Amino acid sequence: MATTTATLTLSSADLLTDSLSLSATQTLHKAGTTTGLDGIQYERLEVAAGTQYDMIDATAAGANKANKVYVANKHTDETKYVEIYVAALQIGRLYAGDWMFIPLEAAAATQDVSVKGITTAQVIEFALIHEGKTLVAS
Amino acid sequence: MATTTATITLASSDIADNSLSISNTMTLTTAGTATGITETTGLARKKIASATEVDLLTLANLEVTALKSAKVYIKNTSTATDKYATIGVGQATGTPIYLGRLYGGDWTLFPWSAILTDGDGQAASIIDGGASGHAANDDITIKMSDATETVIEYMLFFE
Repeated sequence: MATTTATLTLSSADLLTDSLSLSATQTLHKAGTTTGLDGIQYERLEVAAGTQYDMIDATAAGANKANKVYVANKHTDETKYVEIYVAALQIGRLYAGDWMFIPLEAAAATQDVSVKGITTAQVIEFALIHEGKTLVAS
Repeated sequence: MATTTATITLASSDIADNSLSISNTMTLTTAGTATGITETTGLARKKIASATEVDLLTLANLEVTALKSAKVYIKNTSTATDKYATIGVGQATGTPIYLGRLYGGDWTLFPWSAILTDGDGQAASIIDGGASGHAANDDITIKMSDATETVIEYMLFFE
């Protein structure tokens, strides 16, 4: 079994009257266990503007599991963003430099994670850390 | 303007032959600018002792501007790794789109479009006979796997 950790540090000296300093670390386990997730897909690619593309296909092997998804927009122009969708629902915008980290239940085959570049093509990085994927026969 | 940063570090020495080490810091800014986000709900905690789906963040009760750069942080503070909170976007009384499960100790940080029904300038929603998935307000919903009392920590950054 693998040991993978995800640590978040949120900090600000001036958002609130008092400093914000939050840290959270999780070990990425398989659903309902203390066994580490042992599958990974890690990619960097350019997303063309104007069309919604699937980054991650929900597959039966990953359904109802404790999959985790990391996405970062590596573009440098702060005015540009990509839209992130789960099951065709727009979840939010990742502006240049932004990242996100979500659990992915993938309960149904339609629960894909997709992305659309707005205005211009943008480079993104994403990682799926999972406990199973259904491979497509060639 | 405030300066708020969020850093993620993903690390593993044995998930593959080579080590995994991803580190990324973002500054939370207003949409399309370099100006720091200045509004937040603050860090909050909520006890949930029911397996009924409820709103964690109700859009109608917040002053979040849709289609900007709002960010949502949620953590399941439980230590029980066999119980989980399912996080969704939509209406608790309807059929939200589920993102995934936060087991005990898990956290998430994601951008939030915060779209109100039919206020999004997009295609007509499903409820109106269209194809858009925004059939309801994009509330952030939560559903526990059982009725064990669990403390959920959350924070919203918005403009």
